[in-house]
Amino acid sequence: MAILKLLLSYLSIHPSPLRNPSTSLHLSQQAPAFLSSSESTKDTQETWLIYEQLLLSCLRTGDDNSARLCLQRLSDRFGVDSARVKALTGLYDEATSNSPGELESVLQRYQDILKEDPTNMPIEKRRISLLLSLGRTEDAIKALTSLLSHSPNDPESWAHLSSLYFTQGLYQQSVFCLEEVLLILPNAYNIFARIGEVTYISASAGVGSANQTEAFEEAIKYFARSVELSEWYLRGWYGLKLVTGKLIQAKPSDGKLGKTESLNQMATEKLLQIVNKFRRNEKGWTGFDEAEVLAAKDLIDRDEQKFSR
Amino acid sequence: MATVQAQTILRDPQLFYWILFPITAVMILTGVLRHYVTVLMQSDPKKQELNAISEQRNLLRGVNLRTNHNQIPLSSFIARKNYLVAAYNRGDFLKDPESKGKPPANPMTDPAGMDQMMNMLKGNMAMMVPQTLIMGWINAFFSGFVIMKLPFPLTLRFKSMLQSGVATRDLDVRWVSSLSWYFLNLFGLRSIFTFILGNDNSADQMAQQMQQMNPAGGNAMFAPGQDPNKMFLAEAENLEVVGGQHEWVLDGVVDRLLKSRV
Repeated sequence: MAILKLLLSYLSIHPSPLRNPSTSLHLSQQAPAFLSSSESTKDTQETWLIYEQLLLSCLRTGDDNSARLCLQRLSDRFGVDSARVKALTGLYDEATSNSPGELESVLQRYQDILKEDPTNMPIEKRRISLLLSLGRTEDAIKALTSLLSHSPNDPESWAHLSSLYFTQGLYQQSVFCLEEVLLILPNAYNIFARIGEVTYISASAGVGSANQTEAFEEAIKYFARSVELSEWYLRGWYGLKLVTGKLIQAKPSDGKLGKTESLNQMATEKLLQIVNKFRRNEKGWTGFDEAEVLAAKDLIDRDEQKFSR
Repeated sequence: MATVQAQTILRDPQLFYWILFPITAVMILTGVLRHYVTVLMQSDPKKQELNAISEQRNLLRGVNLRTNHNQIPLSSFIARKNYLVAAYNRGDFLKDPESKGKPPANPMTDPAGMDQMMNMLKGNMAMMVPQTLIMGWINAFFSGFVIMKLPFPLTLRFKSMLQSGVATRDLDVRWVSSLSWYFLNLFGLRSIFTFILGNDNSADQMAQQMQQMNPAGGNAMFAPGQDPNKMFLAEAENLEVVGGQHEWVLDGVVDRLLKSRV
């Protein structure tokens, strides 16, 4: 019982363990112990979810043997023809392939599966990721658009498309996709912050100072909404501080600046609080991502230097 | 009057052991059995074709736009609304464009509808058969006497139902036979089933009855008795109506944020 509970509690603290190298490593190190224990044969939903997570983290850290075993047990339980199992098998083959030829054969296999069964969404998504890793971004975008034409309610795909457009520099389309995500998940504060970021970046990359100020103000509104929804959202406060700082610098003598200044101060206070409490490892404040906290501290110091001159 | 004076009947304490507990135990066990039988008898969800899925999901997209239109700026909303309304009116997403004007498929003849009806029928059977059996068993073995006194008074009309085996005129309606204990259990064991079997258990007949009575259930859109084209047109109208009031959630967000500053 022990190791199953341990893994479940670990996953509840870190719901997306694959984001972070340290959490992925920790998870994959637990894998051999879990696989050889007796609880790995329990047939509950949680067990199989853990198997999936272990499979992904083992592939991340290079533990192919444990990954193979996980995959085997999943296909024994759910059959090789299950859509999800097929997608995970494809993922495993992609991760352990040694040459571009093997990747191409995996791609061909995906196309065959999709020809037989066009409703297999996990395989469609795998195909898109494979196209991306092969560097065929345009094909990936096309495939993603066709997926979205028959399933426009999938926020994950919209977010993926948005990031693809962003890499291509098509900022307006990127924001369009993020708005679609908002229509499905209206309280997604991270998406509001992301739109703020994209707006800010596209304004900084573009030309014309008049538009820039407007765009900055719009970005500020998006960040403000994200922290309105989630009071301690570090990325939201960081964006707010950064963009308000830029605005204050650009126009030091503007009547409306009262609000921008107060926003800047508010953001600085919140960031300081987060940084200090995280540093002191206070209870309830350790859940932040360390890299993000460091970036926040850096921003605070930079701005202090600027204003103290 | 006989009813003013409290009627007391001396009861054998062994009544508890021989009647109340067995009936309750049997009902709990049949409830659990019924739950597992229903779970096993349920057929797998039928796989749908791509254009059927596309039809349902694109309709949902319109609903999402209508519900959450305040999250995006007015210009974005109008662009999407125009696109969707035009597409719905043209019937772009229909899985079967030829059957636009035809009446909706009859559940009897349409195979998809048959499956749904069969599932409902199986569920009802699983509910009714044990109930009838237990009632028959109780009537056979436990009739002819009263076993308990209800703590609340009732009118005379209930006498025939609750004192089924005992044909007396003067006996207070509060004295009931074992069949009424069965009815009490029927409604009262719901919480015990939730405790044993978790939520969503099939032994819960109340939930089933509520589902049957609720006409706007989640499956209403996808039941074969609906005409998808009409639904698209209705959604297009809804979108036009909602376009009148748009309050972007980002208007005034800065003021709200500053006001919340402590």
